[in-house]
Amino acid sequence: MPTTAAPVSVPVGPNLSMFDPAFLGLDEFGAPVHIPLAYRRLLIAGEPDGGKSSLINTVMAHIALCRDARPVLFDGKLVELGPWEDSADEFVGPDMDHAITTLRRLQTVMNNRYAWLLAHGRRKVTAADGLKAIPSLFDEIALYATVLGTKAQQDEFITLFRDLVARGRAAAMPVIAATQRPSIDIIPKSLRDLFGYRAAFRCTSAGSSDIILGDNWSHAGFCATTIKPTMPGVCYLIAEGGVPALMKVAYLTDAHIATLADYAAWVRTGDRTNPHPAPAVLAA
Amino acid sequence: MSKPNSRSSFGRSAGRSTFGRRGGTVTVIEDRVSRSYARTAKVAFYVVSLVVGLLAATITASYLPPVAAVLLGVLIGVVVGLLVAAIVVAWPVLRVLWWWSPEIGVTLAAGYGWVLLATHTNLLARLLVLAVLVGVPASIPAVRKRIIAFAWCAVTRHRLRVCFNEFIITNRSGTLPLILWARPTPTGERVWAWLRPGLSLPELHSRLDKIAVTCWASAVTVEAASDSNAALVRIDVKRRTVLTGTIETPLLGLVDDGTPTAERVVRPVPTALDLPDVPASNATADPGPVGNGTRPKAAKPAKNGKEPAPEPAAKATGEDVSDWI
Ligand SMILES: Nc1ncnc2c1ncn2[C@@H]1O[C@H](COP(=O)(O)OP(=O)(O)O)[C@@H](O)[C@H]1O
Ligand SMILES: [Mg+2]
Repeated sequence: MPTTAAPVSVPVGPNLSMFDPAFLGLDEFGAPVHIPLAYRRLLIAGEPDGGKSSLINTVMAHIALCRDARPVLFDGKLVELGPWEDSADEFVGPDMDHAITTLRRLQTVMNNRYAWLLAHGRRKVTAADGLKAIPSLFDEIALYATVLGTKAQQDEFITLFRDLVARGRAAAMPVIAATQRPSIDIIPKSLRDLFGYRAAFRCTSAGSSDIILGDNWSHAGFCATTIKPTMPGVCYLIAEGGVPALMKVAYLTDAHIATLADYAAWVRTGDRTNPHPAPAVLAA
Repeated sequence: MSKPNSRSSFGRSAGRSTFGRRGGTVTVIEDRVSRSYARTAKVAFYVVSLVVGLLAATITASYLPPVAAVLLGVLIGVVVGLLVAAIVVAWPVLRVLWWWSPEIGVTLAAGYGWVLLATHTNLLARLLVLAVLVGVPASIPAVRKRIIAFAWCAVTRHRLRVCFNEFIITNRSGTLPLILWARPTPTGERVWAWLRPGLSLPELHSRLDKIAVTCWASAVTVEAASDSNAALVRIDVKRRTVLTGTIETPLLGLVDDGTPTAERVVRPVPTALDLPDVPASNATADPGPVGNGTRPKAAKPAKNGKEPAPEPAAKATGEDVSDWI
């Protein structure tokens, strides 16, 4: 640690944008896979230990370093998205009330953004607007949809979540959600179909794979059951209307996450509603 | 067209009960195919000689007397018509030549090169050249891999043809899809094919497992290769798994070396990490403010209507939340 007398270096952020494609990994032909995040909704599903949380972390790493993103994190397990807390405007743990309050606030922001767009005679937020994207990341959505809270709260959560998924696109409020099996009781089919991008990690049955990727892809030879348990981080990624691509997600070790999260927190100093104390003060 | 008929005996023994008096299935298809080609050739001959003959007669009429023009027209028409009919009849043979064109090309080039060397040098020099030509690519791994990959492309094209020939039902006239070019991919080979009438992508999808077996591959996928033409398909033959290494994100390269460690607000760390540490009266599904103790909002105790357990005395006892999910 430098002493307070040492010249304080000025944080310079990387010039990344939410409107740039984010690097996810390599496909089986060795080509890099990028997806644009600002207007997309990504559903991540598959068996436990398939690599869902590592994909969420890879996406979050890009978001954290974006100059125009103010993410909101929902992680009932705390440890997956917890390291990024300092880059997020809100971090929701296994707390249903907090989750619902946060979703309501997001809904209001979304309404305001649409009113703002209407006032400017436009239909969607673009990179030139200077508005920041508000990506919402959910790890293990099933926890909020089926485990925590009362039935009424769970229903309200699903309703608010659906609104965010359905309307968030043009307001630059993308949703990235991970769950083990997106069956009817966790994510209704109508809601599932709103996700343009789906990542299917290893599944135990062709039915599960089809639930994630869409009807009949297993019949055409794209089936997540063929991914071996010894290959974590491998998934089928399907983009809107395209053909699933077998790919391997980039992996961040805990040390990488700490490095990136520290850097992101540093370049975002002063970006948060509840600003952290400046590092120099606490270091004493 | 020129399938050895010995296989018809196999077809007959298998097809006897279903096809009865019609005999072996293989022979029937082959007969039908050759008959169809003969008929097409005949039609092509008449149509082409008529059209070309009339055209030729019309054009030559302005240079020659009418009778000579008609005679010349008939002659040209018959010659061109015969040529076209010959191509139609020979099409199955031409197709076989196309299928084997890389092998034919390589063999011809090698043979020609050897003969050329033989006329100009002695045996020792020839063997030396051969050793260099074979030895150098074989000893450079990148070149060797490339050559082996292209050899597999040739193998895959032939295996795919076997698939279409053996078990993928073709149309009434028995034409096979045209297997176009192939190129190596990290997982195997990618082959383009031109489907003939009677085949479709879903039909191929229903036979992917059999195609994989025939190609000695682990998996095969078929996709449309063109947005405007459904006949052009791309076949990916996969024989290797390549997604084994760990991939690093390029974002790490953006990190500034002088980044200070972010100081985080110190939170109470739970100490009840084993089951006996948590008495029954303390059990709750709510880990309390462990997650977000920094914000005032989280400071209020979260209500979790699911568990009517008594209000826990110590919220911060916490549990390993990851175990529930
Ligand atoms: N892209 C990857 N590359 C290599 N290993 C991975 C990758 N993704 C996950 N893993 C391994 O798999 C384990 C489980 O991954 P995780 O993301 O926690 O799965 P999930 O969230 O689906 O349960 C990780 O601890 C890691 O060892
Ligand atoms: Mg996980």
